[in-house]
Formats: sequence, C-alpha cells, structure tokens
Amino acid sequence: MSRIVLYPLFNRIWHWTQALLILLLALTGFEVRGTFRLFGYLRAVNLHHTFAVALVVLILFAIFWHVTTGEWRQYIPTRAFLREMVAFYLTGIFKNAPHPVRKERTAKLNPLQRLAYLGFKVLIIPVQVSTGALYFFYPNLSASGWPPSSLWFIAVLHVLGAFGLLAFLVGHVYLTTTGHRPLSNLKAMLVGYEEVHEEAAASASEEPSA
Amino acid sequence: MSALLPFPSRQLRQALTGLIVCSLLPLMAQQTAPAGHGSYTKLRAERGQSATADHSKFKVLQGPFKDGDGSAVTRACLSCHTKAAAQVMATKHWNWRPSDKKLEGYGKSTHLVNNFCISTIGGNQEACARCHAGYGMKDSGFDYTKAENVDCLVCHDTTGDYEKIKGGYPNPAVPLADIAQKVGRPGNQNCGVCHFFGGGADATKHGDLDDTILKAPRAVDVHLSKQGAGMACTDCHLSQAHEIAGPGYIEAADRREQPRFPGEPMSRMSCAACHTASPHASFVLNRHYRKVACQTCHIPAFARGGLASNLSWTWSTAGKLKEGRPYEERDAQGLETYNTIHGDMVWAKDVKPEYVWYDGHMAFTRLTDTISPARPVVLNPLQGSYADPEAKIWPFKRHDGDQPFDPVLNRFIAPWTAGPKGSGAYWGDYDWDRAIRLGMEKAGLPWSGKYDFVKTQMWWPITHMVAPKTQALACTECHSRQGRLDRVAGFYLPGRDRGAGVDFLGWSAVLLTFCAVAVHGAFRFLSSRS
Repeated sequence: MSRIVLYPLFNRIWHWTQALLILLLALTGFEVRGTFRLFGYLRAVNLHHTFAVALVVLILFAIFWHVTTGEWRQYIPTRAFLREMVAFYLTGIFKNAPHPVRKERTAKLNPLQRLAYLGFKVLIIPVQVSTGALYFFYPNLSASGWPPSSLWFIAVLHVLGAFGLLAFLVGHVYLTTTGHRPLSNLKAMLVGYEEVHEEAAASASEEPSA
Repeated sequence: MSALLPFPSRQLRQALTGLIVCSLLPLMAQQTAPAGHGSYTKLRAERGQSATADHSKFKVLQGPFKDGDGSAVTRACLSCHTKAAAQVMATKHWNWRPSDKKLEGYGKSTHLVNNFCISTIGGNQEACARCHAGYGMKDSGFDYTKAENVDCLVCHDTTGDYEKIKGGYPNPAVPLADIAQKVGRPGNQNCGVCHFFGGGADATKHGDLDDTILKAPRAVDVHLSKQGAGMACTDCHLSQAHEIAGPGYIEAADRREQPRFPGEPMSRMSCAACHTASPHASFVLNRHYRKVACQTCHIPAFARGGLASNLSWTWSTAGKLKEGRPYEERDAQGLETYNTIHGDMVWAKDVKPEYVWYDGHMAFTRLTDTISPARPVVLNPLQGSYADPEAKIWPFKRHDGDQPFDPVLNRFIAPWTAGPKGSGAYWGDYDWDRAIRLGMEKAGLPWSGKYDFVKTQMWWPITHMVAPKTQALACTECHSRQGRLDRVAGFYLPGRDRGAGVDFLGWSAVLLTFCAVAVHGAFRFLSSRS
C-alpha cells in the first residue's frame, strides 16, 4: 500500500466550502420558497444573498486555480473507458469486479465523473448564478421594462436548478461510497490522498508515500 | 508536471478564511436600529408660546354674543382677519365639492353617492351640516358666498367646548365669547369632531380614524400619540390659505410617496417626506418601497384603538318594526347588528385590511351616472396594477352594503333620510316610496317611480394609526401561501407562488435519484454478502 495525492489543499478547501455554501443556499432558498421555516424569512433572504456572493467569489478563485494549475484538463470529456464505467456501475460493481479506471494525479476523474462535473460546472452552476443574479436584480430589471411574467420564469428556472443540485447531491454522496471501502473516497477528499495498491502506486510513480 | 504543483497552503488558508469572514460580516452588521427623532410634543408647546396675539385682550371678542349666533363671532374675527373668510370659501371644507368646475357633480354637496348615508342632497343637508364649516346649511339653497356664514370656531376652538347642531349652527349652550377669546391653531380634536365621526358615529366610516386617537397609546398611533411623536394632524396635512392638504375627489393622493423639499406646498403628505425613500437598515426591506406602500406593513390592522368600525350597512333590511316601533339589536360586544333606521350592520375591531394595487386615483359614482346592477357596484373603483409603475400595494378597508337604486333609469337614488315622523323622511316614517320621491324632488333629479336595492362596495384607504415598527408585518404575513397577499394578482411573489408543477417535478427528480441509489446500494450490499 502507498499513498497518492489526489486533492491538493486548495482543491479540498474549495470543494468543502462550496459544498457548505450550496447546502446553506439550499436551506435558505427553500425557506424563502416557503418549504419550511428555519432562520426566519428576512434572515433567510439576507443569508441567501450573502452565501450567493460568497459562492461566486469562491468560484472565481476556483476558476483561477483551475486555469493556472491546468486542473481544468481533468474535466475534458473522454469516451475512453466510458462504456466500461457504465458497465461497472450496472453490473461489475455487484460482482466485485475491479474498477475499470485507475486514479492518477493528472487524471483523478473517471469518464462519468468528468461528464457529471463538467455538466455541473458549465450547466447547473451558470444557470443558478445567472438566474440568481437576475432574481436579485429583478426590481431594477422590472423598472427598466421587463414584463411581470419574467420573474416567474427566472424563479422557476432557479428553483429547477436548485432541485437539480439536490438530485446531484444525492447521487454524488452515494457514489462516494463506491470506492475501495465505503468511506475511502470521502476520506481522500478530506485528507487529500488515497491509499492505493502497490501495482497502482508503481504505475503512478509520483508522490510516493511518506 | 509543474502546472500541478500545489499552492502555498498557508496563504491560501488565510485568504479563504478572510473570504468567508468578509462575506459573513454584513450579516452581523444588519438591522442596527436607526436613531429616533425627537418628540413633537415639546416642539408644539414652544410653538404655542410663540403666538404674538392674546385673543382674550381683543375688545371685539369680549361679547356677549347671542346664544348660538356664530355669525356674530365670525364678523368679529373678520374685523382683523379680513381675508380669512374669502380663503375658507375657496376650500373643500366650505364647498364640499372640488374647486375644479370641469368636474361637475363630485363632492357631497352635489351628486356624489356613498355607502353610508347615501347622499346629502335628497333633503339631508340640515342634518349633515353638523360637519359643514359654516352656519345655516338647511337645504340646497345655502348661500356659499356669505362670509359671515363661515364657521371659524369649529377649526380654531382650543377649549373642546364648541359643538355644532343641525344646520351647522353652534349649540346655543356653547359659551361663544369664552371660546372666541381662546382661539388658536387647529388641534387633533378640531379635525376629529368631523373626521372621526364620518358615517354618523365614532369610527364608523374610515376604520383608521376615530376618537381614540386623541388619547392613543404609542402602540396604536406612533405619530399622534402623546407618548409617541406627539404630532398633530396638521403636521402632515399642511395648509395653504385655509385649504388643508389631503386627497379630494379628483386630486390623486401622492401614492408614490416621493420626498419633497421644504417649502413645497403640501410637502408632508407622504411618509417619505420625513422618513426618506429608504428608511430601513435592511436593503431588502428598502427595495419594497417601489411596489409596497409603507402603510401595508406598518398598519397591521385597522380599528386598533378599541372602537369597532362599520364593515357593512344593508339598507334593504331597514324599516322593520316591533309592535309598531323602531328597534335596534346589539351583539354580545354591544355592537349594533340591526337598527330600524339603518338595516343590518356589521362592525369589527382589529380588522386585517384588504390589499389592492393602487396608484392614488379612484373613480367616484354620482347620482347621474348609469350603473349596471347585475353585479355589486363599486362606488369608488381603484386604479392600479402591478404593471403600473405608479401603483403600490395598499391596505384598504372594504365596505359592503346595499342601497336603493332606480331599476328603470339604472341610477342611484338620493332618499330623504333625516327628518321627523310625519315629514315623509325615511327615518320618520320608514316609507321608501315617499322618502325617495321627496328626496329626488329636493335633489331636482328624475325618478321613474320604481326602486330596488343593489349591492354596493366602497374602498377606504388605510393610512392613519401607524403602529410602532415592532408591530410591522413579518415577511411571512405576505411571503407565504394563504398570506395577506393571497389574492393580489399579476406578479410572482416569492414564498407565495411556486409555479404549477415545479415542486412536483423537482421533488420527483430528487426522489427518483434517491430511489435509484437506494436500489443500487441494496444490490451492492446483497451481492457483497453472497
């Protein structure tokens, strides 16, 4: 057994801050929607605005990090092993078959993860950020002539995006349990490295265990 | 692989901590209380001492005045205030109609119809004149040009002893000379003797104006309460040459509440004139200003002073007799539920207002207008909608009722109501046919000879008796399902509106995902055991 570093410190701080902010945005957002009462309405609205700004700032940092470190390449979609990954989740995983894709520092995401996270980054997040901004600035837009019905569309899109995030969260949390052991992926996201088998460590030559 | 070198971790940690702390700071800073303004009570006392004339020193006011001879007092006043009567005679308080002659028929001295006593001009002038700022209004022949008919004392009495009777004359028991020597600026009681008693009795008509205001605790009226700002009606309703600021039948109220500059006429007829257009510490609350009237959140209910306001007046059930006599019935709270002279009535205290898009314009209905009796007739339809940039959501008292109309001409009717037994007036003899015939003769209007009753509705804007900010509506009073704005249509309201099927779609997606991973997980669990 040896260790392979998958998630550098910024990666982890970004991931967990983003997770926290999205959870808090969901809590405050659904309170504003009237799904439940938690913080109190005005506080929920103010918190939602604050968390949204914090998330946007965090995303700007993350974009900078992805671009400057080249980490963005991790999300380039690939067909290689895509079929194998689907087959693994549909059948292989029940037969204790080995994971078809080996994690490496430069390719830590399997083809399905690449697709899912790319969708998250280029679809759900932009939709939420843009509809959120339109929602926030709606009084100004309304004053400059946007029709009353436009807020309905903005709000419905924003809420559908939120439900999308919730569904993503359910799937995402579940899939963390599909590592070597149920908690090993979660642990890796916390500490940054993962225990790998000797042969894997041999092929992933860099970052040998301490 | 230099591109993948990790960032210096310590700085990064500090930067992110700073980011999170900075984004949370505004939360801690929000909702700091704005500084309060000083009490008007002291200001008022100082202003009272600044008068340069002691009216008790004037010979012309020594009297004695003949009992009930108000005109004698007026002549004395006019001997110094030479232009005062001319000013008063140009006002609504004198003419009871708009000064704009192009708008003929609006005003209670002409063809305007209301939901309470219906109309003055069907012979009711003498009774109604208790609230006319003049002497001698008995019928439609009142001389609006006679200066000595102006009633100075009703507005300028500071003793509280002045009282008017039928025809607008002073009660003969009133000590005129004493009152004349103590005249001063109008106080809340001067306005209140008429405006608190609209509709015939205390609190009846407006819902946000009644006698309790004079002794209101701060919780009932932050502005007029002596424990509150201690303001006077005239601090907002400024006057110019005896015309008091206020919306009339044709002038729209300043519903946009734009701040004005000192010196502009009628400059405080809006909350924003004192409170600015962004009075809250919270940005989110301030943004409501564009679409929500201050009154909507800050007057949580009307008739809050302890007196019930009239919500419904059903003329069609009036006239029932018990053993040949008129009677009245009251409920457990002592509120009149039936009176032979009124019909069925509904009263209530602490009433949640209704909310309507309103841009300050309302139309009015005249005796000469054609109505469509198939549906309830709204006597003063309100203008405004979400799309109207001038309109805001306003609180209103809705007043329901019915009243006689002419089913042939499809017009309202001015019955003669106030008169003694045997006169033919409705409250004397309970005979609609005769009361209507006489009333329409006195009003000089045509009547087909037939009458029926039509349901009517009237909308009274709620703007007085503002509650302390601690009693302002919570967000969820409106931002919720079945909230106060449940029926205010035309826009998407967060917390109230969902979008049809969006919740179903969204929760289905979440639930399906959950089921999928649950099934997948169950299979994994089972296969790992086998």
